[in-house]
Amino acid sequence: MRYEVRQKPDYGLVRVMFDAPGEQLLVESSAMVARDTAVTMKTQMTGGLFDAAKRKLLGGESLFQNTFTATAPGQTLWVAPAPEGDVQELHCDGSTPVFLQSGAFLACAPSVQLDTKWGGAKGFFSGAGLFLLRAAGVGPLFFSCYGGIHPVDVGPAGYIVDTNHIVGWTGGLEYRVTKLGGLKSLFLSGEGLVCEFRGQGRVWVSTRNPSSLAAFLQPFRPVKPRS
Amino acid sequence: MQINVLHRPAQALAQVWLQPGEAIVAESGALVGMTPNVQMQTQSGGVMSGLKRMFGGESFFRNTFTAQQGNGEVLLAHALPGDMAVLEMTPEGYFLQSSAFIASSPGVNIDTKLGGFRGFFSGAGVFVLKATTQSPGQLLVGGFGGLQELVCDGNLVIDTGHLVAWDATLQYQVGKSGAGWIASFLSGEGLVCHFQGRGRIWVQTRNPVEYGRAVGSQLPPRE
Repeated sequence: MRYEVRQKPDYGLVRVMFDAPGEQLLVESSAMVARDTAVTMKTQMTGGLFDAAKRKLLGGESLFQNTFTATAPGQTLWVAPAPEGDVQELHCDGSTPVFLQSGAFLACAPSVQLDTKWGGAKGFFSGAGLFLLRAAGVGPLFFSCYGGIHPVDVGPAGYIVDTNHIVGWTGGLEYRVTKLGGLKSLFLSGEGLVCEFRGQGRVWVSTRNPSSLAAFLQPFRPVKPRS
Repeated sequence: MQINVLHRPAQALAQVWLQPGEAIVAESGALVGMTPNVQMQTQSGGVMSGLKRMFGGESFFRNTFTAQQGNGEVLLAHALPGDMAVLEMTPEGYFLQSSAFIASSPGVNIDTKLGGFRGFFSGAGVFVLKATTQSPGQLLVGGFGGLQELVCDGNLVIDTGHLVAWDATLQYQVGKSGAGWIASFLSGEGLVCHFQGRGRIWVQTRNPVEYGRAVGSQLPPRE
């Protein structure tokens, strides 16, 4: 399977070219854009009802995912996420898992296992979602966000990321949710809570967050007439 | 200090490299990430200047990020999709539409000025910001959509909803677009800024208020 991500960072679009019949890609529900007619689609709850429900309820992903299977070499499949923004491709080499913010998953090879992880109580306060998606195994993985995706390589010195801007990170990083500055800063800085990553690995941050757009649009909503 | 604008244009992200002891002052809420050796301090710069900023359409508080012991990195972004530009400070300085300010060198003085009472109707805010400095410095501005630099040599008319920043060497006056007020209103062009003189003007390729009206009106009503 060969793949490329086009139209980065504004409107990321994945093009997958299958090399052999039987090759598969697991894709988030409703993310398919186009495919060769002969590529078959099977809808399933990956991992069975319990795992799928866990992902849906806890990980923010869909209950159903679609598996696309090539029937001949040279077939293509196009995949895109819902929000306007970037798609990041990553070839998982099995050495370390990847943790994704809920809703960031787009597609992966079936050789990559997806699991929902309890993010701990710290996740609850971080706005980073109580649950995370853990992807482990060998093969391509695609994830997306609203806005551009910017990779940050974290060394021993660590890195601090606003909780609203975290897309995902590699295993091998420890994180804790903290506030910046003193109490005054917590309430007045407009920066809220941050995640401090330490260890050796990579964090992907989003250049925009959808809540800022929603906050901008809020005053433009019509006002409900008083009855 | 070095500012690199990455992921341009729509998803622009400013990567700010600070040398030990160097600082940058940023609009509240602009932080995306930073190295842990960067200290953040929140200040209003006094109640009056904080209040003035609030009237100017900005937040009451600003944050100063300072690199301690070694080089630091700060990532800053705008709230809306769009491009950013780094402007080198000039002796005359710049005028900014109030929501365009993202960050500046600490030596840059950002003052809130009355943009003329007609600005009230323009959707561009009653106030504009004036950025001045005694020493070299930089200014980081952001727009909605792409940024286009225009050169005014003589006269130029710009829609107020598309204005981002301009050289303070220019004379400007907010006024109507057409011959009469009614025609100006019906044309949908609303208020424009008449510029005179020689200087650069940065415009944003989309008008945020028009965008808000187009999309916001489709949302369910507020209670």
